Amino acid sequence: MRDSFAGNCKMKTTVALLLLGLMISAFSQDANRLSVNDKKLPVGSDDMRAIEAALKSSLPAARNATVCLELAQGSGSGVIISADGLILTAAHVTGGVGKDITAILADGRKIKCESLGLDSETDCAMARLSEKGPYPFVEVDRADLTKLGDWVFSLGHSGGYDKERGAGVRIGRLVKIADSTWQSDCTLIGGDSGGPLFDVRGRLIGIHSRVGANLQQNMHVPMREFLRHWDEMLKGEFIGEGPFAKKPKKGSGFLGVGTEETAEGKLRVTKVGRESPAEAAGIKEGDVIVKIDGAAISNKENLQKLLKEKAADEKLMLVIVRNGKEKEITVRLGEK
Amino acid sequence: MKWKTAIMMIVACSATARAFESLESDYRTNGSLMHAVVTRANQSLQEFSAVVYDGKKEIGYGIVITEDGYILGKWSELKNAGALSVRVGGELYDTVEISAQDARWDVCLLKIEAGGLKPVVYADSSDIGQGSWVVANGATSRTERRPMIGVVSANSREIRAEGGAVLGVEIKEEKSGIVAGKVPEISGAYKAGIRDGDKIISVGDREILKREDLVEFMKDRRVGEKIEVGYQRDGVDQKTLVELMGRADTFGAEESRNDAMSGDVSKRRSGFPRVIQHDIGGTSKTVGGPLLDLDGKCIGMNIARANRAESYAIPVEELRQISQALLDQAKK
Repeated sequence: MRDSFAGNCKMKTTVALLLLGLMISAFSQDANRLSVNDKKLPVGSDDMRAIEAALKSSLPAARNATVCLELAQGSGSGVIISADGLILTAAHVTGGVGKDITAILADGRKIKCESLGLDSETDCAMARLSEKGPYPFVEVDRADLTKLGDWVFSLGHSGGYDKERGAGVRIGRLVKIADSTWQSDCTLIGGDSGGPLFDVRGRLIGIHSRVGANLQQNMHVPMREFLRHWDEMLKGEFIGEGPFAKKPKKGSGFLGVGTEETAEGKLRVTKVGRESPAEAAGIKEGDVIVKIDGAAISNKENLQKLLKEKAADEKLMLVIVRNGKEKEITVRLGEK
Repeated sequence: MKWKTAIMMIVACSATARAFESLESDYRTNGSLMHAVVTRANQSLQEFSAVVYDGKKEIGYGIVITEDGYILGKWSELKNAGALSVRVGGELYDTVEISAQDARWDVCLLKIEAGGLKPVVYADSSDIGQGSWVVANGATSRTERRPMIGVVSANSREIRAEGGAVLGVEIKEEKSGIVAGKVPEISGAYKAGIRDGDKIISVGDREILKREDLVEFMKDRRVGEKIEVGYQRDGVDQKTLVELMGRADTFGAEESRNDAMSGDVSKRRSGFPRVIQHDIGGTSKTVGGPLLDLDGKCIGMNIARANRAESYAIPVEELRQISQALLDQAKK
């Protein structure tokens, strides 16, 4: 009886939500839409001023949420979309899951950041700022309200972070809409990758991905591609086998310890490689490895089997015993 | 700037069989129909912008500043021209004199034999705010300049010389002291008479004994500054005045990934005391003309196409001073 009631209730909610969804989309189609967007061309300076006014009022908040992302291999851009520091960027910027990134905010603050999941087929990626916030953020256009020809603007830290300059704004129109890629005539350059494309109201509609040789060929990943795999990316999944990020190969991870099995059936570290990931994490000769990622370790075979499943750059949680005391150590694996 | 640390992929835009919607090119931000939308700026472009040619080749643009034919242009793009001619409106003028120049700002003053030209109308201020519309010349025909639109992109600021300001001598540290190695002919040092093998004794009021002395002195110098250099040749001490240039402009710079993406950019694109940054595209040959607001007033002079996404203009406040100083210099 109770179960069926619960089920019934759920169904009702679902129906209500669907209806609500329809209503929202029906109303929000034009709620905040700039009327010039419905003209093929702006007519005279009044229309031009209307575009300019909208852009100028959206710009400060948009700029405050745009960040530069620095990685070992170079720098790209990203945009903060929640007060607690969730960032959207491009997969070819983060290059993988769980990567260490330094984010530079508009005001120059440097904050540690880690990449979450990505979609290697479409160039979507997420990252999260490690400190709590609150951060300046922008609203995501979840309702997919943008149409071909709409006036849009892009921001990004072209060529890297430059405090005196700030993130450069470029204006354009949405000139092509294809399945998983939008094209605008806002010119992009290296360092803009992962940066935001906005409608003139300042809603996030795309993430910069790549350019063609022509100034008009500036490609962005639309929000609908992010929304398609939102939860998986939040959970840190590596999606697809596309060109924008290379899936880490299992077994490519390198720890850098020599071990021996003790008479008591334990695994003891006998050697720590110089400049190895193990050394960097603070593992010492004589440590006894008890657990890795929750799995009990008691011999070499356990360890080897576990490492076979791990790739370079993955993080391991080790429990070790040193001087009779248990200690937790996190190691980021290197490349074999 | 950290060009080498920039991530962006270039892809060939192959035709795709999948369905897509596309905006006709005439309606795009710089499509052919846009000139009708910016009528006042377009009119200004036709009136007081100039096209500069070397023979038949278009090499730059200019701003008409007096009714009797004084015109501002980008010095580094024009100075090596063999046969200068200038077009204003539909009229071609083939007697052109370079009457004055300002190396620091890379601006020169041209004079054509003309009368009754409509001179530039300056805006009161260049501080119109980021995201404001701006208009500049794109391509040109015999009778018409084509307007291109964009916005003010970033903070107005100084663009330091790429690699810093230099005298223009390669430094050799020898037992006797600091000796000039290669001195490129375009450098300030060469023009001031310094040659390979001269011993550098002093710069400004500082004695030079080792490399660090020179490095320290040059640290906060700017392009266009004139520095007195003491040097020794064949045992005789001499003094000369060297005008500083940017390192990349003197010795050349390696092409970065972003340069490869940018196409034809200005050779001199750094070492400016202050610029407005905007996003209007173009090439090294479309620089030198006015940057206009929607009312057709001049808020600056386009001075460099820096890369695919960035163009620089001299703000009107400085431009008025430069233009007055050049006129004074020419009429002396």
